[in-house]
Amino acid sequence: MNRNIKYKMSQMRFIGCFFVYLFISILQSCKHDNLTMPVPNENIRPAADFIHNNYEMRLFDAALQKTGVAMELNEAGPFTVLVPNDLAFNEIGIFRPTDFDKMNKDSLRRMIAYHILPRRLYLRDIPSNAVDFRYATLEGSELYASIGSIMPGATSPSNMLFFSGAKAIRKDVVLSNGVLHVLDKLMKPQFEKNIQEWLSDKKEYTVFVAGLKKFGLWDQLAEKGPFTVFAPTNEALEKKGITMSFLDSAVPQRYIAEVLFGAYIMYDKHFFISDSQVFSIINSNGSYKYHLKDNIHYMEYFANEAYPTWKMSYYMKLRSNDTFYSIILADISYSVGAKMDYLCSNGVVHDLDQGLVSPDQVIKKEENEK
Amino acid sequence: MKTQRILHGVSVLGLFLILFTACTKIDYTQIADPAYLRVFNNINYVQTMGSKDDKVPYFCMLINPKTGADGKFTGAEIIGDFLDKRDPYAPPYPSHIGNSTSLSNPEYPGKENVLVGPVLNGFDLSSWAQIPSGEVRIVFAYRPKNTVPFFELEERLRNDILIDTVINLQSKEVYTLHLLQKDFVKKDHGILLRQENFHKLPLSDSLVYVNFYNMSAKGFWEADASLKDDDYKLASFKYGIKDEMNVYMSLYESQEELSHYAATVKGYRGKFMSTIRRNTSSDVVSSYASFPLWASNHANGIRTSIWERFDFFAPGMNPVTNPFYDSDRNTGSNWAVLNCLLNGKVGLTSNENGTLLPNLLVNVHSGKDNPRTFATVNTIEVVNGRVYLTTIQRKYAPPIY
Repeated sequence: MNRNIKYKMSQMRFIGCFFVYLFISILQSCKHDNLTMPVPNENIRPAADFIHNNYEMRLFDAALQKTGVAMELNEAGPFTVLVPNDLAFNEIGIFRPTDFDKMNKDSLRRMIAYHILPRRLYLRDIPSNAVDFRYATLEGSELYASIGSIMPGATSPSNMLFFSGAKAIRKDVVLSNGVLHVLDKLMKPQFEKNIQEWLSDKKEYTVFVAGLKKFGLWDQLAEKGPFTVFAPTNEALEKKGITMSFLDSAVPQRYIAEVLFGAYIMYDKHFFISDSQVFSIINSNGSYKYHLKDNIHYMEYFANEAYPTWKMSYYMKLRSNDTFYSIILADISYSVGAKMDYLCSNGVVHDLDQGLVSPDQVIKKEENEK
Repeated sequence: MKTQRILHGVSVLGLFLILFTACTKIDYTQIADPAYLRVFNNINYVQTMGSKDDKVPYFCMLINPKTGADGKFTGAEIIGDFLDKRDPYAPPYPSHIGNSTSLSNPEYPGKENVLVGPVLNGFDLSSWAQIPSGEVRIVFAYRPKNTVPFFELEERLRNDILIDTVINLQSKEVYTLHLLQKDFVKKDHGILLRQENFHKLPLSDSLVYVNFYNMSAKGFWEADASLKDDDYKLASFKYGIKDEMNVYMSLYESQEELSHYAATVKGYRGKFMSTIRRNTSSDVVSSYASFPLWASNHANGIRTSIWERFDFFAPGMNPVTNPFYDSDRNTGSNWAVLNCLLNGKVGLTSNENGTLLPNLLVNVHSGKDNPRTFATVNTIEVVNGRVYLTTIQRKYAPPIY
């Protein structure tokens, strides 16, 4: 009996001890780390607020405020905002917010609306190696997105993204109502304006326009195209001996018009300068070589971001024909990014500060022999 | 006893459950009187600066389209969407399905999940779609290269029609339909419907058959080189071949020796095969030339390692009188070379000018042999500086593991 109780006692003591140890071990194991739950960031701001609070985008913000688009941009969205930074505005001569007062408010609003897409467009949404992928803008017209992807899907992919010729230098900035990309220059859509109308508006190209008219190349620039025109300034043509007084006295039949003025026109192409860069990524060949309309002279065109400035530049080399020993008539480069990529309704116009050929280089053979 | 009875009850219940839940009614699609059709888009494009503003030949094929009140297409009996340029190699079975995540279809039916042809006289027609026979209207409409199905595109994007025509298909016949450029200068396009006859011919299964077509556009080989695709892989074919060419074949002993100087099978060095003439309108089937599967002395009746090299020469030249260097690529369209070996991706290491396609012979695991070499029936088509190989294979014994 006594023995039985003793046994029970030891049993109870054992169970008691067990529970005590269990309790201690449970307490011990309960180490309460401060768990952090991923809370959505409440500091992400809507588009207009983000731009307003960013020192790199003060001029774009000023334009948004002036045109009243800022209000719209704080709404639900979604939006994709392509913001040219202040440097980009400086390049086209806008340095302070008051500079916008000189501009027509409606056309400024249109221009700004072209930089906004009514959708959320991340880098990953654009197909890799897409060229001229079109997206509708808030303005109603379309912009052209081109992307050259090196190693898409790799851990450190490199994507060169351009919108209508302007490079996205900072991509995928997340906003509460969309996404933002920073551009290194303004997109310059001319909307309904065709190349002819655009050129005739500008006083720096009057000699070029007069030359095109004189040599019968002018009318086509109002047609559907597309064309890519490298418009030489009056000074550029003057250096090659082409002035108004020359044009007045010149006999068009003496010269090969397709070279004298046709060399500045690419037919059936609309090239942004950045396209060369994109194609050199896509298929390692960003050059475009073609015969001029006289079927003899040969043009080699190329563009890239070159050492030492890494500014987007284009190069044109005009040869007398396509053989290795041909004469190089012109070999020029141009790198003022702010004056490239004027997107007209029937093509693209780029500024050119050097002439390609002088009249005496393109005198027709028969005339020469006489 | 009791447990046994419960077990019985449960199993009977389970059986009922399976029987009733498994009964799904499937409506099998059927085409009453089918013809068998395979469609290739031979209009090629490359992504270069010069071709940036060209229209991309990327199509939606509509067979017997339905039109709405305004004359616009609202649907079709058969839709072959996302029809891309064709692959250089059209394999004997629709392998595209398991091999890519892209919607772009290198041929029709290709990746489409449709009723396909049966095994006809030993030939596996699973790459041919069943199409209602008789007169059918066929339309090829340009479409943007994206992932939106044709009839979900905006209306304005659905009106660019390349071809709208009627073709006549006979019941139980095998057809290949080619979308072609007919004139390189005028940029005319058209179609070529060919009624194949390989399944009706008494073809031996120990001979490898091949026939040739030149479906290049008029004026291609004469055109300036700058207008042609700049692709180094096309090698001597880049500039096109002349309108009439003789084809010579050499059989090389081993795919392990990647050289055009390597040993050839006795009697098969520069052997004349056929003459081809440029043709984009006639639907006549070229006659098949053949060579024995076991031509090589090194073959053991199960496996052989031979590969084929085809020389296309303008009349008056042949492998013996060939005036060009082996590495000449621009031969004035007088000589072009095609090497068919391995998977068509491995080039020769010797300095030569051939473009590449896979070997005509098919090696697969069949019966106890892995691999076993099979003879095939092939079509080699030259289109504007590119060469395409279509291989048709017979049914073979399944593998035993």
